Amino acid sequence: MPSNERQAANELTPLSPAFFHILLSLGEGERHGYALKREISRRTNGKLTLGPGMLYGSINKMLALGLIEESGDRPDAHLDDERRRYYRITNYGRKVAQAEAARMRELAQLATATFGLPKHA
Amino acid sequence: MPSTPFSLKLYRFLLKLYPAGFHDDYAGPMEREFRDELAESSGPFALAKLWVRLLSDLALSLPLQFSRELWQDARHTLRLWAKRPGQTGFAIVALAIGIGANTGIFSVVNALLLRSLPFHDPSRLASLGAFFPPHGSAKEFHEWRQQQRAYLADVALIEQFDVNLGAVQNPVRAHLSYTSWNFFAVLGTQPVLGRWFRDGEDAPGKHAVAVISYGLWQQFFADDRRVLGSTLRVNGTPLTVVGVAPAGFNYPNNSNLWYAANYSPGNNGWQTIARLQSGITWSQARAAFAVEADRLWPRRDELGNSEHYPRMISLQDELAGPVKNASLMLMAGVVLILLIACCNVANLLLARTADRATELSIRSALGASRARITQQLMTECLLLSFAASIAGLLVALWTTSLATKVQPAPLSTQSYSILDGRVLGFAIALAIASSVVFGALPSLYAGRIHAFSARGASSTRGARLIRESLVAAQVMLTIILLTASVSVGRAFVSLMKTDRGFATKGLVTVSVSLDGTTRGVVGHQLPFFEEVLDRIRRLPGVRSASETEFLPLDATGFVGGSFGIDGRAAKHNSTMVPVLSDYFKTMGGGILYGREFTDAEVRSDAQVVVVNERFAKEFGSAADALEHEVTIGKSTPRKIIGVVTGMDYMTGTMDTAHSNQIFIPAHSPGGFVSTFVARVDGRAEDSLPVIRDTIRAVDTQVPVFGVKTMEQRMAEAVARPKFYRTAILLFAGFALFLAVIGIYSVVSYAVALRTHEMGVRLALGATPVELRGTLVRQGLLTVATGAIFGIAGTIFSGRFLESLVEGAKSVDLTTLIFSIVLIALVASASIWAGTRRIARLDILEILRIE
Repeated sequence: MPSNERQAANELTPLSPAFFHILLSLGEGERHGYALKREISRRTNGKLTLGPGMLYGSINKMLALGLIEESGDRPDAHLDDERRRYYRITNYGRKVAQAEAARMRELAQLATATFGLPKHA
Repeated sequence: MPSTPFSLKLYRFLLKLYPAGFHDDYAGPMEREFRDELAESSGPFALAKLWVRLLSDLALSLPLQFSRELWQDARHTLRLWAKRPGQTGFAIVALAIGIGANTGIFSVVNALLLRSLPFHDPSRLASLGAFFPPHGSAKEFHEWRQQQRAYLADVALIEQFDVNLGAVQNPVRAHLSYTSWNFFAVLGTQPVLGRWFRDGEDAPGKHAVAVISYGLWQQFFADDRRVLGSTLRVNGTPLTVVGVAPAGFNYPNNSNLWYAANYSPGNNGWQTIARLQSGITWSQARAAFAVEADRLWPRRDELGNSEHYPRMISLQDELAGPVKNASLMLMAGVVLILLIACCNVANLLLARTADRATELSIRSALGASRARITQQLMTECLLLSFAASIAGLLVALWTTSLATKVQPAPLSTQSYSILDGRVLGFAIALAIASSVVFGALPSLYAGRIHAFSARGASSTRGARLIRESLVAAQVMLTIILLTASVSVGRAFVSLMKTDRGFATKGLVTVSVSLDGTTRGVVGHQLPFFEEVLDRIRRLPGVRSASETEFLPLDATGFVGGSFGIDGRAAKHNSTMVPVLSDYFKTMGGGILYGREFTDAEVRSDAQVVVVNERFAKEFGSAADALEHEVTIGKSTPRKIIGVVTGMDYMTGTMDTAHSNQIFIPAHSPGGFVSTFVARVDGRAEDSLPVIRDTIRAVDTQVPVFGVKTMEQRMAEAVARPKFYRTAILLFAGFALFLAVIGIYSVVSYAVALRTHEMGVRLALGATPVELRGTLVRQGLLTVATGAIFGIAGTIFSGRFLESLVEGAKSVDLTTLIFSIVLIALVASASIWAGTRRIARLDILEILRIE
């Protein structure tokens, strides 16, 4: 359920790693919960593995904030279990992800200016 | 995989731990994922790893989801409350009073009956009421004590007095307990400093030793450890301090000084306490004690009064004695009140839930499960309870402070406090239990609301009958309590109006004790009193002043006996009160015939006497008494110079209020406690300090205490009847308040359920006022049923009330009619308010929905 009074995109930043990774994964297309989890785990080399409670807790909160929405389309009906739910990113979610990326870029630039880049970066 | 079904079952169960909303939305996908993961985990190691991950995820996410959903529900509840502030306020106030009164009374029960006494193994301590062991000498008592070893490990004797304590200048009054040397050993308490009494220290010539209380040590010796060995003067007698009792130890009766006993035969002021022998049960000990009491006192059955039979009870029961039954009865009363309050709040919530049937059915249609709606309602109930408990703490504080005033705890460690783990736990349990009680009905109802059916569940005949019976029962209770409060209130007014033989307004009273001072010697007493009175009488604003050895309302001891006139003995015993000149003038007592004593008569110890009317009338007309003489055994007869109305020496007790009274000139005053009385202009309180200081200035070695106005003494004397009046008035007021909520919510629930029917009737031409009138008439039928039972209950409870509160009469017809009219009016107003939505009904809207 999208939030009625949507806050400006940068007011939600910094996002939690879980939120940001979910947005990133959904940026590539619609996914169900389990696929999201596997994608995030792969992306972070297993460093961020979301358990079902934390995953759906995050999804629940992101739905309430209007960052993502449930998708009615079911990609492959004959392979699908009707209990699965599919999610996609909203326009607002995209803006928040952009704002978070911009924030991270600024932070990375500041860090580079201060410490330089590692030799084997 | 053989473990699949079990793992899945377990996971399904764990998913149910999530809050209802989250469970509704995500249990399906989460279970689906679990199947996927389970399929991918092969072997016991992988399975164990999966479970470890799942459980740690559960531990992290469960509290998070709960706090999120509860916060959501709480915000929803607060929005609902804001829409109906009146109803919400009513519910919170009703519960706050219920929970608060329960917590307050429980703190008294907890302090007196549940909290253990501050002694070693207190459950083995006994009090031997109305029993005097052999006590002619220390040897006699201790020999008897040794003989009881079979069932009593130890026995101790106590006797209490108020004494003058301190140095030559500015002594204070202290409460002293004379005890056998083993008193502290029986209780098993350790001193903080020094030692207790030793074996043999209660023998003549060896007993000039004392133990002081912690408070006295701080006050007199400023915590100085050199207190041991120092000397205290008790009524002028020097005593050596050998020990200091621990802080909070003030048994018995706020004692602050313990002195090794001085035995004498014939003394019957002793209290006996004992510790049961180990391995002996209470019933065994009681049986053995009864045999011993029979042996020592074979003819005790002839006493004719069961109060004077020796009996063995636990020390805890003995201390709680006067309050135990009253507090348990009050506890039962307030539990009942809380239950009624809960039922009413349940009805109120039910009516509100029925009102919200449309909203709830829409939510149900949108996918909210029954559990989700129930969870939301339970959150509302818990919040209601929580708000009520916070407000209830104020009620509880007030209740405990009232209880402390009416009946202070016997030991300082038993002070009534709500800041006690058990009391706070009780309050929390009460809040949760009541939210379950008043939340269950609305939750059940909400569970029966189906999607797409805005009308919700219809009321069954049985449910309606229950609700109406509840209203009738409340009407009954309210009528009983209203009439009782009028009756008790009247009794109190008449108690306050009773002519006690003196005028309380503008009367100052100050006590002194000459014990142990140089003024206490025969011949030195009267000059002290004359000097004090001379100075008081010269003070501006003082109209007259005098002194008495026994002050009305406050007399703790009497000199009495069989008096007569001209050698003929009176039928009843008389009380003899020594007084100085101007006593009746100062007290505002009525002199019927003759006059009171002059200074000269007091000084010369003239053989004159003033008698009260009751005494004089035993021998004929009161006016004729002046011609006669009062005879006391074989001593010199005294000439009757006046007949007075007499005074109430104690409130409420028949013995002294209507006793024969003989007043004699106090030629040697100051025997025990003497009280100066002064009649002043203006407020008596304002004159207290100056009169106190005037007395103190005459001789600083004489302690001055009991500095009070007669009005203050009166207020203390009637504290208990006043408490009965306040308590029953509060109960009645609260019952009326609850009846209002009860009737209002039952009616508005009925209206909510019958909206459609009302709409049809309006469409057929009935006006809203007509409809509401019909409902008022129907509602009043229930009230009338309750009133009939109320009248029966009033007649029944009247008798009980007469026995409980002195002066309370059975209820008269006027009071009964007044109560019934009052409740009928209140009920009509509540029904009218409960049906006000009929006036706002939109017929088209209702018919369109159908």
